[in-house]
Amino acid sequence: MSLEEQKQVPENWEPTILAFCCNWCTYAGADLAGLNRMKYPENVRILRVPCSSRVNPQFILRAFQKGVDGVLVAGCHPGDCHYVSGNYFTRRRFLLMQRFLEYNGIDPRRFQARWISGAEAGKFRDTMLQLCEEIKELGPNRKLREVK
Amino acid sequence: MSQMQEELRQKAKELLEKGEVRYIIGWGKGRFHHRPPIFIYQAEDVDKLVWDEYCVANLGKYLLDDKFPEGKIGICVRGCDSRAVVRLVQDKQVKREDVCLIGLPCTGKVDQEGRELVKCRDCMHRNPPVYDIVLGEPVEEKGNPDRFKRVEELEKLSSDEKYEYWSNVFDKCIRCYACRNVCPACNCRECFVDQYRVGWQGKQKNCMQNQIFGLTRAYHIADRCIECGECERVCPVGLPLMELNRKLIKDLNSLFGPYEAGVNPDVKPPLGEYRLEDPEEYM
Amino acid sequence: MQFKKSDLPKILDSMAKEATVLAPMKVKGNSKFAPWGTEGELDFGAQNVLLPPKDCLFPQTEKMYRFETDGLKVNDFEVINESRPTVLFGLKGCDMQSILCMDDVFLTKGYVDDFYKKKRDDLLTVCINCTTVAKECFCDSMGGSPNGHAAADIQLYDLGESYQVKAQTEKGQKAVDSWQQYCNKDEGEIKEIACELKVDMDGVPEKLAGMFEHPIWEEISRKCVGCGICTFLCPTCYCFDIDTTKDGAEGTKFRCWDSCMFSEYTRMAGGHNPRPSKKERVRNRFLHKLEYFKERYDKNLCVGCGRCVAKCPVNLDITSFIDQVKEVASHE
Repeated sequence: MSLEEQKQVPENWEPTILAFCCNWCTYAGADLAGLNRMKYPENVRILRVPCSSRVNPQFILRAFQKGVDGVLVAGCHPGDCHYVSGNYFTRRRFLLMQRFLEYNGIDPRRFQARWISGAEAGKFRDTMLQLCEEIKELGPNRKLREVK
Repeated sequence: MSQMQEELRQKAKELLEKGEVRYIIGWGKGRFHHRPPIFIYQAEDVDKLVWDEYCVANLGKYLLDDKFPEGKIGICVRGCDSRAVVRLVQDKQVKREDVCLIGLPCTGKVDQEGRELVKCRDCMHRNPPVYDIVLGEPVEEKGNPDRFKRVEELEKLSSDEKYEYWSNVFDKCIRCYACRNVCPACNCRECFVDQYRVGWQGKQKNCMQNQIFGLTRAYHIADRCIECGECERVCPVGLPLMELNRKLIKDLNSLFGPYEAGVNPDVKPPLGEYRLEDPEEYM
Repeated sequence: MQFKKSDLPKILDSMAKEATVLAPMKVKGNSKFAPWGTEGELDFGAQNVLLPPKDCLFPQTEKMYRFETDGLKVNDFEVINESRPTVLFGLKGCDMQSILCMDDVFLTKGYVDDFYKKKRDDLLTVCINCTTVAKECFCDSMGGSPNGHAAADIQLYDLGESYQVKAQTEKGQKAVDSWQQYCNKDEGEIKEIACELKVDMDGVPEKLAGMFEHPIWEEISRKCVGCGICTFLCPTCYCFDIDTTKDGAEGTKFRCWDSCMFSEYTRMAGGHNPRPSKKERVRNRFLHKLEYFKERYDKNLCVGCGRCVAKCPVNLDITSFIDQVKEVASHE
């Protein structure tokens, strides 16, 4: 498929976004957003992980491969990690990963990371809204995607 | 060169006779210009050792075949081999006290037509940074001012151009996994590729699967790549794999400070460490 | 009869109208058999093309069938066995011999592989003699010849300015008939050449038969890095694996090349591996090439193309191995 064909957006297309959420903060933040009846786009699929540093960079490649249009990794603010230092490793790992994906032609907006605490329901919703909007603008992701 | 070869044979003989090492890993004579790795157990075989401009293969990886040796292993090390051994020691694959490093300052190797190898052109450590014995005189380090030049050129391309470039690269890959098998940083007991049941890597050969392999491997060795350039040398279809590794090294240096893998055994790879004042982009 | 070298593109063009013409081409820096008319330039170098032609009969990844499931029920099942007329143009003697080896495996002894057969029936082979040999070539020691192959449909001989054409089968004759307009009378002489690298295969398969437990295997396999270069560049290595991709209810079964040099190749369910180390794997590869195949099909599975000799990162070289086998005592 040529790049031009790849860019075509199918009718009624909706993005699929995968959010890796740390069990101890972001997942609780998402829960709080729900409790507060905050609305965020249903395009987001949340995958709960014990810590943001549980996210293997390969998970992200795998997600793109299986047809996800955008990936978010969200964890505790620096200093707040349930396991003391997990998110510091996350930070190093994904600062590098984002640049690496960009170098390979993946738009950096397709893979993002955020710190969202258990109390930041508003931030959770805003992040999801923003992410969803950005991905919608970018259109479907065909890069690294599995060919059938 | 031939004087060094004499010295090497002499030293090897001495080590074997005294029983300081059980065997020595070095280079021997192959079919044509090739200098394949050889394993010398007997003092009378030391004349099989060769040291000349064709000794290209990196020897460090062979230590993995004998992780619990009976007695020390002597291994000939140029700059790149020495760094490979440091890599394996740091990754806790090999014990430093199990190996005896015979340092050989290197002035670069050539291919059969006499052209300098790309990996030697880009070499930054011609003298072994870590060794037990060193032969000959140290050679002048020439550095590599163009280390990141190609990466910078690629970075200037647009997203789609980059993707097209790398798709074209990986389209050629035949998935022989030679890059992985010679890489001293690729020392997992079981590679993700071979974890067939887990399904990280499909066995089908197509551009996307090749890319998944290439990117995962590059990222997995990101902070541990010793820049020996063996992956590029062995690739039968000539993929520019160091362009991926150098990108990661360049970013690691700019994000977390300068680091060279395999040079100092006491400095940990940057992705296995953190500092509170690391750059913050996720607020 | 013969035609001018300058007419070659026209002949290829005319054949390409009815068939996929695979010719040795340099594509993005690598030489391989690529469809004529696509990007790349013709490459009839001394060295054989890097990638073997087996891909056109036995693709590295080949879809076998598609299915759709509903729970445990299979709703839809469709065999995918596509093929179109193909011409392999400019094969060297060694690669032609490799196709005969593959024929033995996939078409004889009561096992006919439909996927292979269909492609094989659609194939027209055009062989060309070698005018120079690379230093790694040793086909004439393995029973082949750089001067052509009798099993090709059409054999071409390089006469410098032109190619002499010899149709060797009915199928080949039909194709040659359509080239008449470019052809004229024979003149010039065919030069025969021989390989520089020689190995002596005399008695080797028989000797190897008693060497399964010989210490030589341990010795030669030490330097092997266990990559798949030799097997994937080998024109006769035919091992494959079958796997499925499944997405929801739909799935595809495909087969792809596998390499006996990979540890995963012989790993069984439960984790046992009968070939646990390099020693067993290297032994298996060499014995298969030089002994087992000879026993079963009376051919050497090594055709002497020299690809593995040229490309092995550590020069684990089958010719040196044969020399070594001749020398060692065959005791255990």
